[in-house]
Amino acid sequence: MSSAWTWWIVILVVGALNYLSRLSFIALFAHVEMPPLVARALRFVPSTMLTAIVVPAVVFTAPATLAFSYTNPKLVAALVAALIAWRLRSATATMVGGMVALWVAQWVGRGAG
Amino acid sequence: MRRQLALIRACSRPTGSLLTEPPLRLSARPLFRIFSRPDFLAGVREMTPPLLGLLPFGLVCGVGAQSAGATVWQSLGLSAFMFSGAAQILATQLLAAGAPVAVTILTCFVVGLRFLMYSAAMAPHLKALPPRWRHALAFLLTDQAFAAGIRRFRASGDNRNAASYFLGSGFLLWATWQCSCLVGYWAGNIIPAAWSLDFVVPLCFLALLVPTLEDRSTRIAALASGVAVVALDALPMRLSLICAGLIGIAAGMIAEARARAR
Repeated sequence: MSSAWTWWIVILVVGALNYLSRLSFIALFAHVEMPPLVARALRFVPSTMLTAIVVPAVVFTAPATLAFSYTNPKLVAALVAALIAWRLRSATATMVGGMVALWVAQWVGRGAG
Repeated sequence: MRRQLALIRACSRPTGSLLTEPPLRLSARPLFRIFSRPDFLAGVREMTPPLLGLLPFGLVCGVGAQSAGATVWQSLGLSAFMFSGAAQILATQLLAAGAPVAVTILTCFVVGLRFLMYSAAMAPHLKALPPRWRHALAFLLTDQAFAAGIRRFRASGDNRNAASYFLGSGFLLWATWQCSCLVGYWAGNIIPAAWSLDFVVPLCFLALLVPTLEDRSTRIAALASGVAVVALDALPMRLSLICAGLIGIAAGMIAEARARAR
């Protein structure tokens, strides 16, 4: 099997699987009544999934290298960004503030090291 | 004439009653009755700042596809059909490393399991819409579009308007994603790695996360999820993501039940 076909098989199969995952419960619960327990659980989906995406990107400096300390510029920057997001409720300010904090923390870290 | 009368009757009905109406009658309505231009444009407008955070992510995906030896059409196929940064990066890394097709597909599928949760959370809001709308909006269900859209659906009493909002934000996201992946494919290596621009990606998710932490139960849920995702990091195929989500949800529900009992 040529390499070109390998790429297209992966693209189309994963694309289809992703679409079916996205459609799954939207299609199901359009016809079936949602159990109350599930309805209660769904309130927590945004908070938990976004946390599960953000935290590893911040506390791991390399694969399987946990850096839970103030010398990790990404952790410092994320805390600053979280404070900005909480006080200002602005995505732009959060991203700009977080990046500036990251650059400052990297610069300070380089100076100290 | 009868159609016009039905339309006038439909127009005069208060929008709030949409929630209680049986879905059949709504699907008999023409498409333009559901589409709301102001809400579509509001979705486009409000998606623009979070999109700034997605641009570097798209660049990274494009660079990944290019360095893994994909053609530009394959790179475009990745971004257009998979439409998921995490899956695209994994697929290119695994294929470049010579992993078997089945392993690559399975890994990408497991990382996409979070879409099941997004789908379930969206389901009650899309229930009353025609199937065509449900099928189209499902395709646009990404992390960012979900986080922004679900907030709108919960805040707005009118699912029809919120659906147009979601369509607007999702469409803009899809279009921008294709462009940023293409730019990454052709010119992504121009940006120096020392700028750490890819850190904008978690920052963008953080900006979406903070407003969802509205009460004690959601904060406990997020805390449990954050601890779990680090503790379970060694799990294969990034299963830690979906496991942490489920653990966080369980913690949130327990916290909520306790708060109610008090």
